[in-house]
Amino acid sequence: MEAQSSQHSQVIEISGDSPDGGRKICGEAPCGFADAGSISKDSEERSTSMRKLLMAVILCVIFMTVEVVGGIKANSLAILTDAAHLLSDVAAFAISLFSLWAAGWEATPRQSYGFFRIEILGALVSIQLIWLLAGILVYEAIDRIIAGPKNVDGFLMFLVSAFGLAVNIIMALLLGHDHGHGHGHGHDSHGHGHGHGHGHSHDSHGHSHGISVSTHHDAKHTKDEHHHTHDDHEHHHDEKHEHTHDDQEHHHAHKEVTEPLLGESKDGTKKRKQWNINVQGAYLHVLGDSIQSVGVMIGGAVIWYEPRWQIVDLICTLIFSVIVLVTTINMLRNILEVLMESTPREIDATKLERGLLDMEDVVAVHELHIWAITVGKVLLACHVKIRREADADMVLDKVIDYIKRVYNISHVTIQIER
Amino acid sequence: MEARDSLSSINGDFGFAGATDRRFAFSRQSSFQQPHTPIDIPAHGHHHHLYWSALDDKPSALRRTSSLSSFGFSVFRNVRSGHRYMKRLFLMISLNVAYSTAELLIGLFTGRVGLVSDAVHLTFGCGLLTFSLFVMAASRKKADREYTYGYKRLEVLSAFTNALFLLFMSFSLAVEALHAFIQDESEHKHYLIVSAVTNLFVNLIGVWFFRNYARINLAYRNAEDMNHHSVFLHVLADSIRSAGLILASWLLSIGVQNAEVLCLGLVSVAVFMLVLPLFRASGGILLQMAPPSIPTTAFNKCLRQISALEDVVEVSQARFWELVPGHVVGSLTLQVKKGTNDRPILEFVHGLYHDLGVQDLTVQTDEA
Repeated sequence: MEAQSSQHSQVIEISGDSPDGGRKICGEAPCGFADAGSISKDSEERSTSMRKLLMAVILCVIFMTVEVVGGIKANSLAILTDAAHLLSDVAAFAISLFSLWAAGWEATPRQSYGFFRIEILGALVSIQLIWLLAGILVYEAIDRIIAGPKNVDGFLMFLVSAFGLAVNIIMALLLGHDHGHGHGHGHDSHGHGHGHGHGHSHDSHGHSHGISVSTHHDAKHTKDEHHHTHDDHEHHHDEKHEHTHDDQEHHHAHKEVTEPLLGESKDGTKKRKQWNINVQGAYLHVLGDSIQSVGVMIGGAVIWYEPRWQIVDLICTLIFSVIVLVTTINMLRNILEVLMESTPREIDATKLERGLLDMEDVVAVHELHIWAITVGKVLLACHVKIRREADADMVLDKVIDYIKRVYNISHVTIQIER
Repeated sequence: MEARDSLSSINGDFGFAGATDRRFAFSRQSSFQQPHTPIDIPAHGHHHHLYWSALDDKPSALRRTSSLSSFGFSVFRNVRSGHRYMKRLFLMISLNVAYSTAELLIGLFTGRVGLVSDAVHLTFGCGLLTFSLFVMAASRKKADREYTYGYKRLEVLSAFTNALFLLFMSFSLAVEALHAFIQDESEHKHYLIVSAVTNLFVNLIGVWFFRNYARINLAYRNAEDMNHHSVFLHVLADSIRSAGLILASWLLSIGVQNAEVLCLGLVSVAVFMLVLPLFRASGGILLQMAPPSIPTTAFNKCLRQISALEDVVEVSQARFWELVPGHVVGSLTLQVKKGTNDRPILEFVHGLYHDLGVQDLTVQTDEA
């Protein structure tokens, strides 16, 4: 076997036809990280999230232009400042969009795990932006106090922030639409049910050696086999393709998808709890903006009513900024945990280790490391010491099967030692 | 390759004495521009710190809680016991806090907005430096159940956050320059001269403290390097900004048009160029990129050597990443012929990668 590390191929892999490598070794091209089955699920989720964010960005830009035009016409600094605030929203969405898009890039020899981490870094940058904006707002409030009551028009402040609040609420609804649906069973159930089914047909195609997951797809399978081989990277293309199927097939697929879904129910429920971290970040940004708009509105109303009570504005802004920061803490904690390579919260490492030790033939487990490349994609590596006379290959199979079955960690590397 | 050595190396327990000198003097080292193959391989989990903080024996029952009071105590203990850079950082932060409080109070009493805004900006930077200080203390914690790789990554995170902040600062300076260009107003700069001079002075003290890290492209040998380097860049950027403001004021006073735009633009570009290498290096580590110090050809050579073994059918899924600069982790999957004794193969593979600088390696052997 010669070592070929092509520049476009993902991992430094030595190619070879492994007849039975399907379960333990992914020899297939798209196995940059996850197994081929989840690639389509990923791209599904990714393209939906990207669509949502794109709509949010477009909406934001429209509102921003409206505000800029209005601000220039009315010659009001307050409106222009709010337009700048919306610009920061656009920046945050752009970061999330970019992260979403970049996370789908294929792995390269230098980036052997693919680019999934970009999601996390993008979310971190987003959160830093939120904190920065909160700080700027506090500074502006202090500025208003020092500038004196005469210069501030409370009514205008109130109006502008009310408008900002309305815009933010619209976007929050847009982004948060699927909250609790994970991969969108509610609203685009067709696309997702279909996509899910397709994910499985792809799976069985990719690992043509012996794993047939979707027995019911055989009729359609032969027809669209050809299309799916090179539709790997074109997520949108995939989607469009699905939608051109005629109604009969829709029903057909729809009925059948319940089967793989039942099998994957564990994964499904997990997905529902973790929606894409970048969309979550954008949602948090919009939420934070709404909270702050409420604060500025209250401040504006107070100043409009009684220009001498400026201090209320500052207090309000401070309180609401603190509230915004508190909402980001949860997501920040998740991000930090992933970046620190810590054991993901949903996996109990002690139980796993005990489960492994309970197996016969296993003497000791050490150097157990469980970490996530991004929220939801977990890897495991450990050294397992077995009894001298045990069959290493069988123990390896048992261990990998146990981990995959019980903890749903698919990317596992076990070093068996005697 | 002794048998005993390889035995212990398989168990992931390298018996190196860790004889690296903690006190780097970068000015005495030769050029750093070349790719750096690590010569010293620090042992896995080995701390070459001479001073331990009480955080090390925290009970594992305190899952994922970090108490600010224990941070405060450990900082004071470390500062007193003399970890050089922590002491200096602590001193700098205190100076900055004192200075910005003074500025804030004066600004509030005399009603000068510029001073207040400067104080607020300084507080941001201070907060970030405090985070770096906290990380210096917290990263010494030993690995536990949840953080199986330890806490060293925090230093890389702190470096990344600093770099990000500096990028934001560069961007905001550019916006300020644009603002000055459009509005063409420059009245509020002249009474900030005193504050700018003091700011410059305070930051130059910081530059002097961290002068060992006075390079843009640094070869990072361990985690602390990144953190210290980021602190250095932070104070350097601040001093450049203050110097820029002073220069702008002077140029304005002698009648140069658009001096503010020029100076602010220059400062913005300078800070951006300064911080980009650190941003990319720390970002690369956080992205699980393959270690930049080990070239791809070296990896390929190892793979060829392994697949040249007669019992090995296939090598796949070779992945390597850096936990912190200098600590490389990897995993590999081998397919071997049925019935081979995997022990010598394992030893060989581990030895091969150990020479390359990969400390933690997990090798899975499947029988074909």
